[in-house]
Amino acid sequence: MFVTDIRKEFYDKVVHERVLVLVAFDVDALCACKILQYLFQCDHVQYTIVPITGRQELENAFLEHSEQVKYVVMINCGGNINILETLQPAEHVIFFIADSHRPVDLVNVYNDDQVKLLMPTTDDFDIPAYDDLFKDDESDDDSGNESDSSAPSGKRRRLDEEVLERRRERRLWEEKRKQILLDYEEFSTYGTSSAMIMFDLAWKMSKDSNDLLWWGIVGLTDQYINNRVERGKYMTDVGDLHKHTLRLNHRNEDDDNTVSVDCMRIYFDEELKLALYRHWSLFESLKHSSYPACKFKMWTVKGQQKMHEFLADMGLPLVQVKQKFTSMDMGLKESFKGLFTASCEKYGLDDISFGSFIAQYGYKNKLCAADVVYAVNGLMECVEAEKSATGYFLEALDCLSRQNVKKLLRGLDLAKRQLTTIMQTVHSFIDMKQIISAGPFLYAYIPEGHPDVKFFSRPNCLGMLAYFMQEAYVATSRSRRSTLLPMVVAAPLNAETGSALVIGIPPKAEESTKNFFGRAFEQAAIQTNSRTLHDNFDTSIIEMKSEDRSKFFDALISLLS
Amino acid sequence: MYGEKAVELIRQLHRSPDGSLPPFNEDGIRQVLEEMRVLFEQNQADVNKTVDGAPGLFPGVQLRHAALERNKRCLLAYMFNRMERLRAMRWEFGSVLPPDIKYNLSEQEIQWFSRYNKSLAAYMRSIGGPSGGGLDLTQDLKPPKSLYIEVRCLMDHGEFETEDGTILLLKKDSQHFLQRSQCEHLIRQGVLEHIL
Repeated sequence: MFVTDIRKEFYDKVVHERVLVLVAFDVDALCACKILQYLFQCDHVQYTIVPITGRQELENAFLEHSEQVKYVVMINCGGNINILETLQPAEHVIFFIADSHRPVDLVNVYNDDQVKLLMPTTDDFDIPAYDDLFKDDESDDDSGNESDSSAPSGKRRRLDEEVLERRRERRLWEEKRKQILLDYEEFSTYGTSSAMIMFDLAWKMSKDSNDLLWWGIVGLTDQYINNRVERGKYMTDVGDLHKHTLRLNHRNEDDDNTVSVDCMRIYFDEELKLALYRHWSLFESLKHSSYPACKFKMWTVKGQQKMHEFLADMGLPLVQVKQKFTSMDMGLKESFKGLFTASCEKYGLDDISFGSFIAQYGYKNKLCAADVVYAVNGLMECVEAEKSATGYFLEALDCLSRQNVKKLLRGLDLAKRQLTTIMQTVHSFIDMKQIISAGPFLYAYIPEGHPDVKFFSRPNCLGMLAYFMQEAYVATSRSRRSTLLPMVVAAPLNAETGSALVIGIPPKAEESTKNFFGRAFEQAAIQTNSRTLHDNFDTSIIEMKSEDRSKFFDALISLLS
Repeated sequence: MYGEKAVELIRQLHRSPDGSLPPFNEDGIRQVLEEMRVLFEQNQADVNKTVDGAPGLFPGVQLRHAALERNKRCLLAYMFNRMERLRAMRWEFGSVLPPDIKYNLSEQEIQWFSRYNKSLAAYMRSIGGPSGGGLDLTQDLKPPKSLYIEVRCLMDHGEFETEDGTILLLKKDSQHFLQRSQCEHLIRQGVLEHIL
């Protein structure tokens, strides 16, 4: 059931209870969780937070904690699976689900008592009508049989016809239902970010502040950076948040009521698609960001030359460009953005900027939302063996707080390493021509012995790699068809168990983020009896046994062509 | 050299990290006492001789006396510092000591500890008048900022029952928002970590 008044139907219900909060592994979920934590702390709501990586863990975590809780909040998990069937909860347990994964499972939608969906009604769900999906079964067959045995023979024929008619209707209805379900579940996609929903709740409770707003912004930016949301939708949401930004930050405008520099200030600004350039050097950032790197074809000598030419055109000396951005000449630093956008048009980088936000507190910390997303992601998907995956999850949760700037800086370093690795991998794959056009889709496999293989065992990082590869392939390929091809990337996950992580992404030319690989993977697995594990909440990411890979992909090709 | 063994005792205590208690060095203390006895007897003899008229023994007596005094001070310091640590532990661990620490105590120290316990408990009971029901002073060593705090589990602890009867599962890497009073001792034990 969709919740219409999030405050009355969700917050006021849980406010005096113990709550179990299950949080998925993505930046958006982390931000949403932060906002919720703040609200709960204000009202002394006792809660327990458990990080969740996949469906299996969701079941385990629920089982472990189920005895003690009545209210469960799920953030970015559980929306697209049938909660009641998978978890088998007791009748008094109520689930509140804030999940950006679409499509939402229909049983969740139509369950009025136990499942409450915290999703904005403005999203477009295309939920099929109730009557098309569910029917009260008993009346049909039973009454038919009864009348069969007891009715006198004269009436029999007419009844038979009636029964037949009814059966036919039922069959038609079932076919129709199947078709509707198929249409509904064909594509997996993403809806409004959970952090936005939580911020909305905070706003409705008049508890919004710059900190909460910042988390909302980071959550939304995460969706944009990881290609989970269409540009149009992103712009609308940014517009909403922009209004909040103006409302919360108007005090600094005139001289009479200034606030201290140590207070957080957020403002809207056009941001360049250059990853982390404020914390790196411009040169490195240009090289490692997918958009400019693919436009210049940075992996060729000619591309490198072209980039130098581009820098010369802007009038930035190489010495300046190659040193840390913070140490660049003040004059250059200030005029750089203008120069950049002016030269970009000339070099065909029309899409280089997007609307985003910048937060500043103190003189030292000036953070752009996109950079925070990279940093949090880098920390969350850190591959060092120092801590467990959940340990890094909690680190990432910590680094979102303002007092833990040090952890965020560490995250920035990790993010740089991630980006460098991705760039190198793409570079070598293009050089060796290892991205294959398999007919209906592009395909790349990261071999087991690859030095950076452990980086790509994390879903988000693998996703980033897939998008980068796709863009790079499209930039180098001559045929125009390549923009219409989706892409599949596989990487070994665990050498001991011989499993691999597979991700599918939609074609580059496609504006929407609709992804049909979820169902395609499922069917290919069924057809070939491959041992796959659909554990991730994003259905287009699966795990499989490496040995089954070739037959799985054969089936996938025949399925999609 | 005189006093060496006594200083060794002090060093031993000094070397052990804060919050721990090395075993009570009974052997060392006996040796120091033995040394003191010998010194005392020599002094006694020399003093007797001086009284009888033998000259030039006085400086020796004074040196030995200084050594004696020093040994005494060292022994007292050893005992006192151990007691101080023991008292800090009462506030940290509560009235029941962990077995590894208890094993390191001497007989007298155990007696002192139980007496200290008794008087502390009696004092805490008396706070707030006869009907007040007392106050647990060991609960909040610093004034708390809020009633509830956020904690993170550092290890699998199993189920934990709060005062109001709800049971919650403390599992590694889960995060909880709990009443401060209920989880403070778990934080001291290192099961939970307080997050700011």
